[in-house]
Order: sequence, then structure tokens, then C-alpha cells
Amino acid sequence: MIVPMSHILAISATMFLMGFACVLAQRNLIMVLIGVEIMLNAVGLTLVGASALWEQVDGQIFVIFLMAMTSAEVSISLALVVYLNRRKHTLEADAFSEMKG
Amino acid sequence: MSAADLAALAPILILALGSAAVLLTGAWWPRCAPLLWGGAAIALAAAFTAALYSPPTLEIAGFFRSDGYGRFFTVLWSAVAALTLMTSLRYAEERHFEGGEYAALILFGAAGMALLSASVSFVGLFLGLEAFTLVLYILIAFHREDPLGAEAGLKYLVMGAVATGFLAFGIALLYTASGTFRIAEAMTALGAGAEMRPVAMAGMAMFLTAVGFKVSLVPFHLWTPDVYQGAPAPVAGLLSTGSKGAVFAALVTMWGGLEVGRDLLEPLLWALSAITMLVGTFCALRQENLKRLLAYSSVVHMGYVLIGLLAGGADGNGAVVFYLVAYTVVNLGAFGIIASFSREGGEPQNFEDFRGLGYRHPLRCGTMAVFLFSLAGVPPTAGFIGKFGIFYAAVGSGYILLALLGVLASLVSLYYYLRVIIVMFMSDIAAFPLHRGTFSEKAAVGLCLLATLWLGVLPGALLDLITRIL
Repeated sequence: MIVPMSHILAISATMFLMGFACVLAQRNLIMVLIGVEIMLNAVGLTLVGASALWEQVDGQIFVIFLMAMTSAEVSISLALVVYLNRRKHTLEADAFSEMKG
Repeated sequence: MSAADLAALAPILILALGSAAVLLTGAWWPRCAPLLWGGAAIALAAAFTAALYSPPTLEIAGFFRSDGYGRFFTVLWSAVAALTLMTSLRYAEERHFEGGEYAALILFGAAGMALLSASVSFVGLFLGLEAFTLVLYILIAFHREDPLGAEAGLKYLVMGAVATGFLAFGIALLYTASGTFRIAEAMTALGAGAEMRPVAMAGMAMFLTAVGFKVSLVPFHLWTPDVYQGAPAPVAGLLSTGSKGAVFAALVTMWGGLEVGRDLLEPLLWALSAITMLVGTFCALRQENLKRLLAYSSVVHMGYVLIGLLAGGADGNGAVVFYLVAYTVVNLGAFGIIASFSREGGEPQNFEDFRGLGYRHPLRCGTMAVFLFSLAGVPPTAGFIGKFGIFYAAVGSGYILLALLGVLASLVSLYYYLRVIIVMFMSDIAAFPLHRGTFSEKAAVGLCLLATLWLGVLPGALLDLITRIL
């Protein structure tokens, strides 16, 4: 491998933390979902890097599964977002807090 | 993938293809009740196939077990799907659910749970877990007119999506450290001399965080009460039994194959179990809503199951599997009763709705009392045998303090379960009469009651079976 694994891990960990920070800090649902996407893309990067490190295709195959799963998740979550927006005419997460949590 | 693998996958294929068939039928022939009955029949067919057909291979493509253990959980989750569909019949019709979609989703969820329980590879574990998590995102918000349902769906979606991120990153790090997705071999990267031990440890921590979210261990349990309260009662039943039990079934395989790194994880799981029991118990004490109470009760129960998992060995694993079965039938029955009381306007949830209800609906309230006693662990119910097994295994493996905490939590739990029973039977009639219930609902609840008492009085047959499959 030309790029050392530690560099890949550093980048993907940074990406993951940025995505997680986005989920925690943003109140808009679309931004929360984008944060989750960034987290999952960091996972994909790690898997491709590890796949090259161990000279196997397993990791790359997992990335394809991950992409398929992510697209399913995005379609469901966007459908839910549209539905929530129709109910309350807002996408702020704080608007949905009727139950004591 | 060979023909033998396909044959071993037969029960899962029945569930998944049956789910697609029900979905398509529903598009052309939108009748709710027949589609739900059809879904239940497909789930039962899958259960019988898994129970009676012994496949030629013990492992499917290195992803899933198809030995007795995998088949046992396939039978269990298929039966759970069938019972859930039976309790949903009237519920779905009164709320104008799309029958085809509802039944298809539940069948697909059962397929995901069966795959997760049987997984021996992180790929299989991830795909199985996501299969039913995605299904639950939809099912929780399935009732479109219910504002609480939308809120519950949103909360589960955000929490679940973050948990998915953690799970995937944890798996990726474990793969980086070990170079394999097979769970048993990947765990060797946690060993003392392993090259990338810190990476593997970070991966394991993220994996445990995600698991904590899924089975609602404290401090990752905050979504549980809200989601239970907002979800339709039959879906909440599925959520509290299948989605948590399947994760624990996979953990039993994982923990059992763990040769190195056990010393590392033990204190962590010990603390998680203790704090889960404590916080869950204290929060349950001040609930005024039955569904929220059952949510916190499920948090406490996951703490008990974690004790069994920690104890390990044949005793501990057997106790965990038995406990999962006992907990599943009891919770499914309890949520089935709530569903059977529901009217078009909503479900009875607050304790006020149950005041004196025991005089109006003695049979179902009596059954509810049996379920609550079983959750508290009073003999002669399944819950007692389950708890006895867990605490016995814990004392045998030296976790005496945890066992003591568990017993104390059970004693306190008697208080909050008894409160519900007192509200139902020892106050003047104040509650409005609720729905009389239909045949399918009563049959499903009756089956759960029968299983609860049978496992409590004669647990020998199931215990023997569990010893054989482990």
C-alpha cells in the first residue's frame, strides 16, 4: 500500500466525528440525515482501505452492501421527513417533542 | 452459493419471498384481513420448515449458522411474526392500514431477525440487523393519523441511524485490525499481543455502543419509552421482543466464541448490566403509562439478560436463551392485550384508562396480571424459571454482586407491576368499557398465556432442547 493505513484511519475517523458532530449540533432533520451519511461514508473509506491493506475483496464487497443499505435507509428517512413536514410544516427536530423523553 | 446453501436458507426464503408476494398481492387486491391472515400463514410455514427440515449444511456461505441454534431462533421469530399479525388484524383494519404493506414488512422483519440470530460473520450480522431496523422505521410510524406515531418514528430513525453508523464503523475497525469478517476470528485481534490492538478495541467499543442502542442498555436507552408509547401496540410488541432478542442471540454466539479479550470486556459489561438494572428500575417506579412502564421494564430485563451473557458457559448461555423465549411470549401477550382493548379512537395506555377495568373485562385483565407477575418473576410463571436460571448461572460463575443486584431489582419491580394490578382490580369502576376483543386477538393472547404457564410449570422440555442446540 502506498498510503499507510494509519493515515486512512485518521481521515476516516475525522470524517466520522464530523458527521457525528453534525447529527448532534444540527436541529434541521435534513442536516441530521446528511450527518449520518457522512458517518457511513467514513465507514466505506475505512473498509476500502482495510481491504487494500489485507489484499482481499471482502471489505470492498461489504462497501457495496453498505451502499445498498444506505440508499434504502435514505429513501425511508426522506419519506418520513416529507411526511413529518406535511404534519407540522417544519423540519426542526425540536418541534417533535410532545412526549416526555 | 450451492444448492445445499439454498436448501438451508429455505425458511428465510419463505419469509422473504412470501413478504414480496404479500406486498404484490396487496397492490392488486387491497383487502386488509385476508392479507394479514396470509402473512401469518406464511410465517407459520417458515416456522414449520425451520423446525422440521434438517438442512444438509451447518453453515450458509460462512455468513449464517443453519444448525439447531439458527433454526431454533428462526422458528421463534417466525412465530412472533405470526402472533403479531394475529393481534394486528382488527387494529390494522380500524386504522385503515395497507394490509399488504403491513404484513410484508412484518414478514421481512422476521427474516432479518432470524438472519441476525444465526449470524457468524459481521457481514451477516450487519445485514440482518439493518433488515429489521429499516422495517421498524416504517412500522413505528405506520399509523399516519397518529401524531405520537410520527414523533416516535422520527426518534427511532435518528437514534437508529446513528447506531447504524457506530455499528458499521466498529465492524470496519475490527476488520482493519483482523483482516476477517468472521466473528470468532476477528475477535483474536483483541488479544494482548495483537498488532493493531488499540484499533480493535476502539472498534469493539463502537460495536458495543451500537448494541447498547439496539437493546436499550443504559445510558443508550433514552429513545425506548417514547418509541414504545408512540408505536402501534402490536409493533411495540415486535420491537420489544424480536428486535432485542435477536441481537442477544447473536451476542451469545459472539461471546461464546471469545477466547481473548474477555478480561477486557468483562468489567465494561458488568458496569453496563448493573447501571441498566438500577436506572431502569428507578425510572419504572414513577410511570403512569402502561406502555412506558413496559418500556422501562424491558430496559431492566435487558440488564438481567446481560448477567446471563456475562456468566457464559453452558449454564449462562442456556439461561439467556430460555430467558429470551420467556420474555418474548410474555411481552408479546401484554402488548397483544393492549391491542385487543384498543378502539378506533386510540389505545388505553394511562393507568386511568385501566382503573377498575378488571371488573369489566376480568379474563383479559387476569391474563394481563399473569403476564405482569411473570415479568416480575413470580412462580409458577416462565419469568420465574428464566430469572432463576440467570441468577443461578451468575452465582455459579462468581458474579454474586450482580446476582444480588438483579434479585433486588426484581423485588422492587414487584412494586411497579403490582401497581398496575391494583389499579385494575382494587379500585372502583371508573374506566370506560373498552373493545370486547376478537377471536384472533384472544387466540394469540391465549397462546402466549399458555406458553407462559407451561414454561413456568414444566420447563424441562425447552431446557433440554436448549442444551441440545447450544
